[in-house]
Amino acid sequence: MTHTHAISAHDLTKTYTFHQQRAGLGGALKSLVRRKYETRLAVDRVTFAIEPGEVVGLLGPNGAGKTTTLKMLSGLLYKTSGDLDVLGHTPSDRKHDYLRRIALVMGQKTMLWWDVPAMESLLLHKEMYGLSTVEFERNVAELAELLDVQDLLNVQVRKTSLGERMKLELMAALVHGPEILFLDEPTIGLDVVAKARVRSFLADVNRLRGTTILITSHDMDDIEALCSRVMIIDHGRLQFDGALDDLVRTAQPRKLVRATYATPVDVGPLTAFEGVSAVEVDGLTVRLEADRARTGQILEQLTRLGPLVDLDVADADVEEIMRDLFLRRGEAS
Amino acid sequence: MIRNLRILRRMVAAEIAQQSIYRGAWVIFMLANICTPLISLLIWRTALANGAQLPVDERYITTYFVLLGIATMTTSSWMAGFLANDIRLGKLSSWMVRPASLLLGFVANNLSEKFLKVFALIPMLGVVWWIFRDSMNVPPGFGRWALFVVTLVLGAILVFTIDILIAAFAFWMDDVSALVQARVIIGSVLSGAVVPLALMPEWSRGFINYQPYRYTVSFPVEIVAGNLSSTELMTGLAVQIGYVVAVGLLARFVWAAGIRAYSAVGA
Repeated sequence: MTHTHAISAHDLTKTYTFHQQRAGLGGALKSLVRRKYETRLAVDRVTFAIEPGEVVGLLGPNGAGKTTTLKMLSGLLYKTSGDLDVLGHTPSDRKHDYLRRIALVMGQKTMLWWDVPAMESLLLHKEMYGLSTVEFERNVAELAELLDVQDLLNVQVRKTSLGERMKLELMAALVHGPEILFLDEPTIGLDVVAKARVRSFLADVNRLRGTTILITSHDMDDIEALCSRVMIIDHGRLQFDGALDDLVRTAQPRKLVRATYATPVDVGPLTAFEGVSAVEVDGLTVRLEADRARTGQILEQLTRLGPLVDLDVADADVEEIMRDLFLRRGEAS
Repeated sequence: MIRNLRILRRMVAAEIAQQSIYRGAWVIFMLANICTPLISLLIWRTALANGAQLPVDERYITTYFVLLGIATMTTSSWMAGFLANDIRLGKLSSWMVRPASLLLGFVANNLSEKFLKVFALIPMLGVVWWIFRDSMNVPPGFGRWALFVVTLVLGAILVFTIDILIAAFAFWMDDVSALVQARVIIGSVLSGAVVPLALMPEWSRGFINYQPYRYTVSFPVEIVAGNLSSTELMTGLAVQIGYVVAVGLLARFVWAAGIRAYSAVGA
């Protein structure tokens, strides 16, 4: 396995064993005497490689195996089988040399000490990661400015809002300058303003520091804003690995077109035109779906229908695409 | 090692800052810590005054219970339940991805809380000592006091390691609170925190003298309060060190196996 990749996984597999217990007193008493154990395949022979500096989105419905994958990559879980190499290390060895080069931010778990200001946690990280005072102060100043949290560093963490706390979490995770940042639902529960701030911060971190970012999120806006590449995991299997645009093109090969005219138009000729479908007329506005390959010709046709006032061409909403994709796979299985 | 000590120092400072917020709580803790042995002392002194035939005299009983508060405080550990909870709920994860020992946070919590408690306990202990000063065994010289301090530190390490061992079972068991509770109840009796081990029945002597909990509280106090011979002192110290090493190795083994089984639940 080569070390030129930041992350390299080959046939990565993880199974869990757990016991099933029926609800109620009877189930509880029965489980005292006899337990039924089951093995669940959480990640099934997943193979991929991520290059340094890439921002990759790991997507999938709940229970698909994406967080388990993230936990194996960050060293929290041992793999059941397969090969895994992150920055030349086997993550589950949890060697300090490895842990110094990564960071994991979990949207629902905190790294910060609750009852003291965030600065105490940052100072703890200074010691943990062996940062010099100069390096520490420079990083803190840079991150605080990017995140706009200068005034929050000396406030008790429990007195900050959810959005502020996530920004402080990100700061604590990045103060040592990790080469890889694993993010598990970093914007969960945040309002739109805080989400936008976190996204733009992460984009800056990737651009300025070249940090490799692997992110799981159910918020497609996160993925669209940050990831040029996505990997879709479902039922533990890697179902798609490629550019977000390719995913959109493959899953939804049509563009959404909306044309608004100054006067009512006859859409008759349009319906007969190749590559046009789902034509709808709403007053002076015409909506349709156009084959990507024929979008240019279809737009030309639209200009001939009447006096055009407004024209809008868009890809289908990624959120909708993902929802359709997961629903289709769910039904298929 | 030096890096871990620097991390520990920083953690202790943060813990002290954190715990100082709840200053009322540790004063109450300390009052409870001193009141229990004090009540026991008064009961046993009353029993002796009423002609009870005990294998130890009043001076032993008095010294024992006056020192008991500081011994139980110094060697106590409360981390098993918290650590087990962190394992069960997946909270250990945020420490596992950072380059430091997972237990440093618990060591820091233990040391800082004891550091703060000392400030409340010493004055209280001073008052009790002054009240009973004429009926206590105070060994001459520095030797026994030094040994008292050494065995207290070893006792603290032993209790802490037993806690790690018990908490580590949470890697496989859904709930270890019964184990934690059993450790507290059995430990409080067998350590001598409730009744001096010298008062245990003669037939149990062999077991009582060599079971591990004696070396968590009773043995250090016996060094000052009792008449242990040099041979008994050295044997006791060797047994205590043996338990620290043995339980330490066992805890390390179980912990390492547990980490492999860790399921890091929750997102």
